[in-house]
This record gives sequence, structure tokens and C-alpha cells, in this order.
Amino acid sequence: MINEEIKSALKKVVGKDRFFDDPEEILSFSYDAFILTSKPDVVIYPETTEEVSNIMKIADRENIPVTCRGSGTNISAASVPVKKGIALCFTKMNRVIEVNTRDRYVIVEPGLINGELQKVLAKEGFFYPPDPGSINVSTIGGNIAQNAGGPRCLKYGVTSDYVLAMEVVLASGKIVRVGSRNVKDVTGYKLSSLFCGSEGTLGIVTEATLRVVPIAESHRTILATYDDLEDTANTVADIIGSGILPAAMELMDKTVINVVADASGMSLPREAAGMLLIEIDGVEEAVEKEMNRIAEKARANGARDVTVAHTQKESDDLWAARRLAYGAFARLAPNCIVEDVTVPVSNVPKMIKATREIADRYNLHLGILAHAGDGNMHPLIAHDPKDKDELRRIEQAAKEIFETGVSLGGTLSGEHGIGLAKAEFLPLVMNQDTLDLMADIKKTLDPKGILNPGKFV
Amino acid sequence: MDVNDIDKCVKCGLCLTSCPVYYEVCREPVSPRGKVQLIAASKRQNLSISRNLENIFSQCLMCGTCTQNCPSGVRHDMLFMRMRSQIVHDFGRDWKKRVLYHFLSHEHQLKLAAGFAKFGRNTILEKLARDTKLGNIQIKNMPRVNKVPFRQQVPGVVEPAGKPRGTVLYFTGCATNYVYDDIGHAIVKVLTTMGYRVEIPGEQVCCGLPMFSQGGFETAKSNILKNTKLLDRPDDAAVIVDCATCGYALRNGYVDILEELHADPSAARRLSSKVKDISEFIWQHFDELEPFLDPEKPKVKVTYHAPCHLRNSQAVGTDLIEQLLEKIPGVDYIRAADTDSCCGGGGTFFYDHPGTSKKIVDKKIKNATGTGASLWVTGCPECRVNLSGNLKNPESLQVIHPVQLIEQSLKK
Repeated sequence: MINEEIKSALKKVVGKDRFFDDPEEILSFSYDAFILTSKPDVVIYPETTEEVSNIMKIADRENIPVTCRGSGTNISAASVPVKKGIALCFTKMNRVIEVNTRDRYVIVEPGLINGELQKVLAKEGFFYPPDPGSINVSTIGGNIAQNAGGPRCLKYGVTSDYVLAMEVVLASGKIVRVGSRNVKDVTGYKLSSLFCGSEGTLGIVTEATLRVVPIAESHRTILATYDDLEDTANTVADIIGSGILPAAMELMDKTVINVVADASGMSLPREAAGMLLIEIDGVEEAVEKEMNRIAEKARANGARDVTVAHTQKESDDLWAARRLAYGAFARLAPNCIVEDVTVPVSNVPKMIKATREIADRYNLHLGILAHAGDGNMHPLIAHDPKDKDELRRIEQAAKEIFETGVSLGGTLSGEHGIGLAKAEFLPLVMNQDTLDLMADIKKTLDPKGILNPGKFV
Repeated sequence: MDVNDIDKCVKCGLCLTSCPVYYEVCREPVSPRGKVQLIAASKRQNLSISRNLENIFSQCLMCGTCTQNCPSGVRHDMLFMRMRSQIVHDFGRDWKKRVLYHFLSHEHQLKLAAGFAKFGRNTILEKLARDTKLGNIQIKNMPRVNKVPFRQQVPGVVEPAGKPRGTVLYFTGCATNYVYDDIGHAIVKVLTTMGYRVEIPGEQVCCGLPMFSQGGFETAKSNILKNTKLLDRPDDAAVIVDCATCGYALRNGYVDILEELHADPSAARRLSSKVKDISEFIWQHFDELEPFLDPEKPKVKVTYHAPCHLRNSQAVGTDLIEQLLEKIPGVDYIRAADTDSCCGGGGTFFYDHPGTSKKIVDKKIKNATGTGASLWVTGCPECRVNLSGNLKNPESLQVIHPVQLIEQSLKK
């Protein structure tokens, strides 16, 4: 609990309009998109770095847990304040500070929504590549904390590949600046990579300088449909293995195709066993050539149909439909769990086959969705949280899926993070010395353990 | 309340930025997801009804955008109306809204009130309250009340010039009857020109949406039953509405509310299939209108605001209205970047939350002004009040109903 004296000190930092401790506000910060919940004691909306620093000084002095949050779209409970304390919400600290396309960077505040940044950049003919499914909702701060990926990271790389510099408030309230505006920068440790994906356990990003890239002159969206899921997976391994590099390559099985069709109202091939949604971009001539090679590969691997979106709107609609998949899957049951196991692309066919087999063995309602081109699998499991037996089967199946992924050279999470959801499985991919190293880093930066406590480290 | 409706929400959060209020306020409790979770907590007895909760649930425009975009199929609109109903049940309603709803459910008293309002608005306020505001709108920018209610200005049946090709019923709504008679006259003119016999039933009453969207289900019920009985005629005549909100009520709201009250919705369901928004009706019968349009009409730049209760609640898409506009001679249509976003009026929202409402409407105005258009068309009288009432320079961008634009394009 936070006593009244501390509350009034915190209130003094941001003013009464951005400090809340009423039951309604607190309840609204007890959840993200994962299933676990836990309420904070107070909710604070900072608007400046100084405010964040002053809040941390109080938290440090009084030993109060601080859990940062943007839009709360996380699916590993990384933004759930399991040890209560302060929920620090950045949605009001959302300015674009500088757009500099000549030097190819932008400077933004952490609460800025990714999709809003894209709108600003599109006017200049540029974009910021990381595109998580929550792109229109999630914040840059959250994207950095989770080292967010997305479909087009296949070609362009993930968030940490685009963070040039950041301003970070440490647990003590100290303000540090790491990195610079230069792509090439080996001045000291690359500390920005340390904070990327740290899930708010090491420091609080209050400003980020991000690399941006020009929008390619040409785009194509290709849809390949299959009567066999294995053929679908084989196509992925074949295309990537042959040296073609699409911007994005998404795989959906029959269950996912159907829920997406239901939710979006789009006419998709409902009877197909598998579908690939492929995006290519680049110079017109190259795009045309790549498109033909991809179509050839798809057909050679048994695609029964390969079509190309005719208009920009058709292409946009397909990608918008794809982004609905997670929420749409919940139409099948009260809740949906999405896993995030990632394997080298040549093992995608094996991983999909194994996942299907595990789901059938445990009698689960599972659909397969994947950023297949980079091996990032998103098996979706529809379930009813009240059915305890089903939950137990899901846990066992998830464990087997992780073990299979790791045995195929993969890893636990490609882009959703560990949070609470997968903390217990870390030893599958890390030995004790490695875990100890993470704990040592945590201790150096946050000796009192007040930043997002109770999570994976 | 059906608990399963709440359980459909997986808290994915994709609704957050689709909500115009969250977009400005940036606080989770006012987001659609936040509100659904608050309802869930109150059902589980983890949260009691409070003034703070009342305030949170008043921060909703009832625009339906969250419901429209929810991948999990959550019916936020119904959930929020039920919650408002619960809050009113526990706390009562403030006196100003009680007075308003009393008038809206008693047509003859509404007529009297409009008479007083005309005197007030057109005479007293003009002199005394030039700079006072009603919600986010300056009183001097409020529209004038019709000298005589529209339905008293026209006969109950207006015949076309030749042999009628059919009969349509015209549900005028309160706005056209008491405030915007220009819309009513345009509709009668255009429909009779197209060859329709226009019947304007005199006994129609307020559609009821202002009551039920605030949770006043029982208050709205007698209006719903009266209108349904009046308009669900055996001759299957189409029911034309000029107000997106009335259209939403007649088309979908009535069935939802009657089901909610465990009343028989079958007549309302039959009525629902006969209701057409005027722009939609004209689009579907464009060949009947085309010979009467003046091809020599000089060019004018036009932009559009898509009312939420048209695009979300009646599925009359923006593309349909845009295609209609493009076909009207003299129209040089320019799309605004946020054509499809809410104007921030939202029933009494502009009055209850003037600050947030103002931010939303100012953005709309900036984008519409940016198109360089001189006409801003929208098929919803309330959007019209809110948009025109907030324009700094109403002379350079006039807000009108699409049917008025069509009337102006008829051959003289």
C-alpha cells in the first residue's frame, strides 16, 4: 500500500488531473491482453521526462514497485502490475518531437501510437518498419519494451534494429542518454539494445530516436491457397531457401482463414487447408520478377490458386483482415491464448506438423497463424477459462510446443516477450549462468527491484 | 444482463484508437475495452455503481465505431446502454435531461416547447447571450427554430406531377420538424420530382433514441410502439428518414430495445426492412432522378462527413454516398482525411463534455476546411448542428444535407 503522504507527494509531481487512485481507474490498469490480472495502487500519467524522474526518485526512496504501460495490448502480461504499486501510463506523453527524413530519423515520445507515427511518415514518403499486429493501437514505448516485430520484419528487422538512441530514466530517477543519430555508432556498449525487449525491468524510455526508411516504389500482395497445410509450409521454406526475400509472408490454416473471414466480412477461400499472404516491395521491375518467381514456387509446391491484389485498397483490406486474427479467434470461445514459438525457417514445416499433432493429442481448439517467412509461429488456442481441465491440457500442450521448438533450433518467443506467461520456461533456452547474468544486469540497474517486479527476471 | 456478452472481450485493445473519446482523453477507463471490463467487474460485484462510474459511462458518443470494428463481436453499444440504464436506475437522472426526455416522449408538449424555444432562441438569447455557450457551441451559432413545425407547413400527402410510381412514408424526425425545415422541403421536392407520392404521417413521434441511448429503455418504449404501429403498414411502403440517428433507431435500435424489454419485436423487425435513408433511397433509384438533374450546373467544391449512425449503425457506407455525390452535376467532390470519423456531437455529449467534444470537432473542421470545399454535406441533423455551430467562418463552408444539394441541382 502507498500511504497518503506518498500519494500527495506523487500527486504534486503531475498535478491532480493526472494522478488517480479511484477504484475505476485502478481496475482499468489491472489487465492487458493476457489472462492474468492484478491491480496497481495508483495510476499516474506523466507528460515529461522530469516528471518520470521525480516519480522514480519517490518510488526509489519508498521502495514502491513501478510498472510502465502504453496501450496495454501486451499478450504476455508484461504490463500487469503483479506487485501493485504505481502504474505509469505513457499515453499522454505522445508527441512527435522531430521528423528528419534527410538524415532518416525521427524523435518521438514513448506514448506515441505506432500507427500515428506511420501517418506522419507516410506524408514524407517514409515508414517505420516494425509493424506488430497491434500497430494501430500500441505505443512506441511498448514496442521498444517488447522489442516488437511484425509481418514485415522478415525483410526489415525488428524494433531493436531501428532504435538509434534513447533517453532513459533509471530506477534511481537518474536520466541517461544512450546512442546517437547515427546508424554507425560503436561508441561504447550498444546500450539501446539492452533496454529493447527488457519489458520495463531495467529502465523507462522517455524519448526515442528511430531510424526510418523510404517507402518502396512498388508493392504487390499475393494470396496463395492450398488443399494441404504441409504444402503451404513447404512453400515458405522453399521460397526463403531459394534466396527470395519478401517483405512479409503470413501463413494461416483453415480455422484461422474462417475466423478472419467472419470478422472482416472479406471473401477468403474458406475451404482451403492453408493460405499464404505474401507482400513484396521494391523497384517495379524487381517486384514483377519476384512475384513471378514466388507464384512459380507456390504452384510447384501444390498451390491450387495464386492471385494478386488488384488495388491498393484490396491489399490494405487483406492486411487489415490479417490483423484481426487474434481478437477474431475469440469468437470461437470466451478466450484466446496465442503462442509465439519461433524456429529457423527451414524447420517451419516440421514445427507446423508437430504443433498440429500436439493440439490433436490434447484435443485443443487450435488454429495456426504464423509470420512464416521468419519462422515466427503463432498457434492460437481458443478456450474457456472456466474449463479447468482444458486449461491444464493447454499448459501441457504449450510445454510440448516449446520443447519441440527448442529442439528444432528455435526459441520461446519471437516478439511477444516473456512477461509472466513464459517465465517458467526460460531454462529451456538458457543455462543457469546465463540466467544469473541477466539477474546481475537487473541488480546493477535496479538494485531494489522496483521496476516491473515479479516478471521474468 | 447476459454475462457472456462481456466474456466475448479478450481485451485485445484494438478498439482503443477507434474510439474518438479515448483518442483525445488517452485514459483506459473511458476506452471501450475499459468500459467493458468495468461492466464485468460490476457484474461480479467487484465494483459498485458510483458517480465516477456514471461520469465514465457518460464519456461515450454512442457512435458504434468500437462495435463495428471489434474482431470478437462484442456489442459495446448494447452493453453501454444497459449500464447507463442501471446507473439511472440507481442514481436517477439530472433534471435537465429529465425535462428533455419528458418533452421528447410527449409530442404535443414538445410542439409547445418548440414555440417557446423559438421565442427564446430567436429573440431573447439573440440579445442577451451572444457569447454564452450551450456545451461546446456558442448560442449565436445554434440553428434557428422553424417558425412553424415542418409537418404543419406541408399537407399530410404530397402528390407528384404525373401518375405516381409509388408511395413512400416520410419519417421527418424532430430535427427536421422543429429546426431544419429546409431538409424537409428538399426531400418532398426531390421525391415528388422522382415520381413518388409522399405521405407524412401526422401522428409520428420522436424516434426514442435520445432516451434509449441514455439507458431510458422504458421511457422510449411507448414512442417505439407508436412509431412501429404507424409505419409498419401492410402496403409495404418504404419509410424514408433524413436523420442518420432516427434511421439507426428505426432500423436496428427498436428491435434491440424491444428484445431487451422482452417485448415482441416482430413488427419492429418488419419495419426495419422497409426503412431507407434518403441518400440510400436516391442512390438505389438514381435512374428515376437523373432526367431531372441540370447538367449545366456550375461546379462547386463539396466535401462529406459520414455520420456514425449511417456508416456504423445502418451499414450505409461512405463509398455509397461518395458515389452518389460524384453523380450529381456540378459537384466537385473532395474527400477529407477523416471523412469517416465522428464529429464529437454524440447526443448530449457536446453538452456534457464540451472540452473533449470541442477537440474532436475542431479536428474535423480543420480537415474539412483544408479541402477548400464550400459545401459540407452530412445526412444527420445533429452532426449539422455540431459542425456548423463550431465553424469559425460559417459563410465560407456551409453545412447542408445531401438531399439539399440534390434539390439545388434539379432543373429549374
